[in-house]
Amino acid sequence: MAQAFHHKVWNGERLSLAILVVCATLLCGLPLLLLFKIGLTHEGAFALGPLTDALASRSVQRALWHSMESSFLSALAATVLGTVLALIIGLTDVRAKGLLVFLILLPMMIPPHVTAIAWIQALGPASPLLRWIGLAPELGSTHPLYSREGLVLLLTLQHSPLVFLLVRAALRSFPRELSDAARISGAGTFRLLTRITLPLLGPALLASFALGFVAALGNFGINALIGIPARYTTLPVLIWRRLASFGPDVLPNVAVISVILAAVALVALLIQSFLQRRMRSSLIGLPQDPLAISLKRKRIWVELTLWTFVALVLLLPAVSLLATSLVTTYGLPLSAETLTLENFIEVLWRQSVTLRAFANSTLVAAVAATLIAAMSILLGYFLSHRHQRVRGASIFASSQAEIAFAVPGLVMSIAFILALIRPLPVLNVSLYGTLWIILIAYISVFLAVGLKPVAAAFLQMDRSLEDAAKVSGAGFARRVVKVFAPLTAPSAASGAILVFLTAYNEVTVSALLWSTGNETIGTTIFNYEDGGYTTLAAAMSVVVVLATIFVMLAMNSLANRVPAGTIPWKD
Amino acid sequence: MKKFLMAAGLLAGATVSAFAGDVSGKLVLYTSQPNKDAQATVDAFTAKHPGVEVEWVRDGTTKMMAKLRAEFEAGSPKPDVLLIADMVTMEGLKKEGRLMAHDGADISAYDPALMDAEKTYFSTKLITSGIVYNTNAPMKPSSYKDLLKAEAKDKLAMPSPLTSGAATIHMAALTSNPDLGWAYYEGLADQGANPKGGNGGTYKAIAGGEKLYGFVVDFLPIREKLKGAPVEFVFPEEGVSAVTEPVAILSTAQNPDAAKAFVDFLLSEDGQKLASSQGYLPAHPAVAAPEGFPARDQIKLMDFDPAKALEQDTANKMKFSEIFGG
Repeated sequence: MAQAFHHKVWNGERLSLAILVVCATLLCGLPLLLLFKIGLTHEGAFALGPLTDALASRSVQRALWHSMESSFLSALAATVLGTVLALIIGLTDVRAKGLLVFLILLPMMIPPHVTAIAWIQALGPASPLLRWIGLAPELGSTHPLYSREGLVLLLTLQHSPLVFLLVRAALRSFPRELSDAARISGAGTFRLLTRITLPLLGPALLASFALGFVAALGNFGINALIGIPARYTTLPVLIWRRLASFGPDVLPNVAVISVILAAVALVALLIQSFLQRRMRSSLIGLPQDPLAISLKRKRIWVELTLWTFVALVLLLPAVSLLATSLVTTYGLPLSAETLTLENFIEVLWRQSVTLRAFANSTLVAAVAATLIAAMSILLGYFLSHRHQRVRGASIFASSQAEIAFAVPGLVMSIAFILALIRPLPVLNVSLYGTLWIILIAYISVFLAVGLKPVAAAFLQMDRSLEDAAKVSGAGFARRVVKVFAPLTAPSAASGAILVFLTAYNEVTVSALLWSTGNETIGTTIFNYEDGGYTTLAAAMSVVVVLATIFVMLAMNSLANRVPAGTIPWKD
Repeated sequence: MKKFLMAAGLLAGATVSAFAGDVSGKLVLYTSQPNKDAQATVDAFTAKHPGVEVEWVRDGTTKMMAKLRAEFEAGSPKPDVLLIADMVTMEGLKKEGRLMAHDGADISAYDPALMDAEKTYFSTKLITSGIVYNTNAPMKPSSYKDLLKAEAKDKLAMPSPLTSGAATIHMAALTSNPDLGWAYYEGLADQGANPKGGNGGTYKAIAGGEKLYGFVVDFLPIREKLKGAPVEFVFPEEGVSAVTEPVAILSTAQNPDAAKAFVDFLLSEDGQKLASSQGYLPAHPAVAAPEGFPARDQIKLMDFDPAKALEQDTANKMKFSEIFGG
C-alpha cells in the first residue's frame, strides 16, 4: 500500500496536500519566523543584543512582570471557578442545565473590550444600577476595578467559561464504573471527589490553566481599558502604546518585545505538554452520562447560588451597558427624562464610520470563516489519513495553525505588519493599510478554531467509506466533494460560525492593522471609548452583543447534525 | 432619508455626478476631530461639493502623526488634507516641506496671529483648555492653584501630552508661566494625578464621578452640560491655553483642487457657522460663539509662542515623563 502511494506522480491528492502545507506555512509559520528573525538579529547576524537591551529597560521588565502576574493569578482563579461550576453542573441534579450552560458560556462569546466597558460602568460611581440601590461608590473615589485585582477579576470572568468547557468535556469522558465502584464501597461525595474525580481531572485542569494563562497574556481589551487607568501596564499594552505613539519607526523594538511575549506563551504551552505527558492516565470504558448526585434538600440552595452568580456576572454589566447606551449624556442617572434612543440612531444611522465598521467586520469575518471551513475539510481529511507520511505533513500544517492561535493576537499582527509592509514581490502591491491584511491575519490566527470540530468529525468517520468510493472508481476530488464534504459540512459550518463570531468581535488582531476605511467593529468601539464618547461605545456594544446572541441561537439549529461537543453549550 | 441615501452612496463607493466645473474625485482627510464632528463637517462639505467623495480617518493628533510619519517612510502618504489639533505640529510639518501653500485662501477677516504668513496652514477655531469639575464636588475651583488644595488630593484627572495635542500646548503654556512653571506640574503629581490617555478619558472620569477635577478641552463639558451632564467648565483667572485646529494641504496631495475647496469651505462663513453650531469657538471674529460659551472678550488667553514650543517640545515631554513616570 505504501509503495502504491510512492510511485504515483503528482495527483490531485498530493497536490492538494502540498498546497495546504504551503498555505499554512505562509500564513501561520513564516510571519512568526520573520518576527523572531527581526527580534533576534542585529544587522543581519544572530544577536541577543536587542533582546537583552529590551529586557534591561525598566518599563519592559515591569510590563513583563505585570503580564506574568496577572495571567498567572487569573488563570488560577479561572481554573478554580470554572472547575467548581463544571462539577456542580456535571455531577449533580440541578435543574435547567441546558440554559445554565448557555448562560455560563455567554461571557466567553462577548468581546473582552465590551466586557471591560460594561464592568467599568457597572461598578463606578456613575453606575446606574448601584445608584438605584444606593450602593454606588462615593463620588471621586478611585474606581474599584482600576487595580491589579480588578484586572485579574475581569480576566478570570472572561476565561472561566473556557475552563468550564474543558473540565465538563473531561467529566463526560469518564467511565461510570469508577464512580459506581467507589460509591458501592461506601465512599461519600467528598471522598469520591478528592480520591477519584479530581485526580482523574488532572490533565484537564492543567490544560485549563495553561489555556487561561495564554489567553490572559494576549488579552488586549481588558488589559488596555482597565490596565491603563490602573497604571498597571502589561506587555500587549506596552506594544500597542509604543507603536501607536511612535509608528513603524519603533517596529524593531516592538518586534523584540513581541518576541518576549510570544516566548512566554510558548514556554507556558511547552511546560503544559511536558507535564501532561507525565500525568496521562488512560481509562478503560465507554464515556457515559455523568453522575447526577442527588443534592436532596440542598439542591435549592445550590441552584440559588448558581443563578445569583450567573445574574451577577451577566445581568449587572449587561444592564449597566444598556442603561449607558440609553442615557442622553454620560454621568446622568437614567430616568424618564434622560432616556433617549439618540445614541443608537447615531451609531446605526448617522456615523459612516460605524456603518463601515459593521460592513467591514461582517465581510472579513464571513470570508475568513468560509475559507477556513474549506481549508479545514481538506486538512481534516489528511489529518485522519491512512498513511503516516501524509498525516505527518498535515500535522506540520496544523501545528503551525495551533501556534499562530496560541501566540497573542497582537504579536501576530506585528508579524503581519513586518511581513506585508513592503510591496509584495511579483504583484508589487502593498497589503499594509488595506482590509486584506486583516483578512489574512484572521485566517492565520483563527484557522485552529475552525479546524478543531472538523478534525473531530473526520476521526469519527469510518474509513471504509473511502474504500467503497475508491472501488467505485471515484477520484480524489470526487470523493472529497461527494462523500466527505457533505458528511463533515455540519461540523465545518459550526466551526465556521465560531470563527465568524471570534473574528467579528475581536479587537486584538485589528488594533494595529486597521486604517482609513478599514475599521473593524472592535477598533471603532475602542476608539469611541477612548475619545470620551462612552454612550456611543455602549450603544455599539449593545448591538454587537445582540448580534452575538442571535448568531449563537442560529448555531443551535445545527445541534443535531454535528459530533457531540462541537457546539460548546450543547451536549 | 437623504442622510441614509448619502451613507448608502458612501458605502457603495458610488459618486454622485458632479456639477460642471466643480471639484470632484476622492479626498482623503486625516483629522483629530471627534467622530461626530468630523462626520458633520464632511457631510456639510459634500453637500456643497457633491462630486467629491471624502474618506476620513480620526485619531488623536499624536497617533495620527505617527500614522502619517509611517506613510512618509513608506513613501505613500495617503491624506490630501490634515485637520489636526495644533499649530506646533503644523509648524514642524511646514519646516519639513510637507505642506502646500494655498495662496488663494481668503483670510482677510481673521486675526493674523492665528494664520501662517506663508499660507500653508490656517486656524479654523479656538479650542481652549481650562479646568473642568464635577458639579457634585465640594470645591469650585477658579484658579489653577486650587487644584493643589487638599480637597483635590487623588481626585484629579488630566490628559497626557504624550497622547493629546491640546494637552501638549496646555503644558507648554502653564510651564512657561512664571507663576506656575514645572513646580506646578510636580505639585499635580504629588496630588496623585495620573495623566494617561486623551481628553475623552479625562472627561469620562469626571462626568462619571470617578475623579472630580481636571484639565480638559472646553467643548466636551460645555456641550454635554447643555444636555444635563453634571460638569462645569472654568476659565481660570490665569487664563486658558488654546489650540486652533489648523487645516493644511499636504504637498503630496493627490487631489489638490478638492483639498483647496475643503480649506476654503472651512474658512468661509458657512464653515465657521458650522464650527459654532458644533459647539466650538469659531476663529472668525464675526461669527457668533455657541451657546454655553462666555463672550469672546471675556476669554483670557495665556501667552504662547508656537515656534518656541516646537523647539522645546521633546524636552518638555521628557520632563513630563520623568515627573509622572511614562
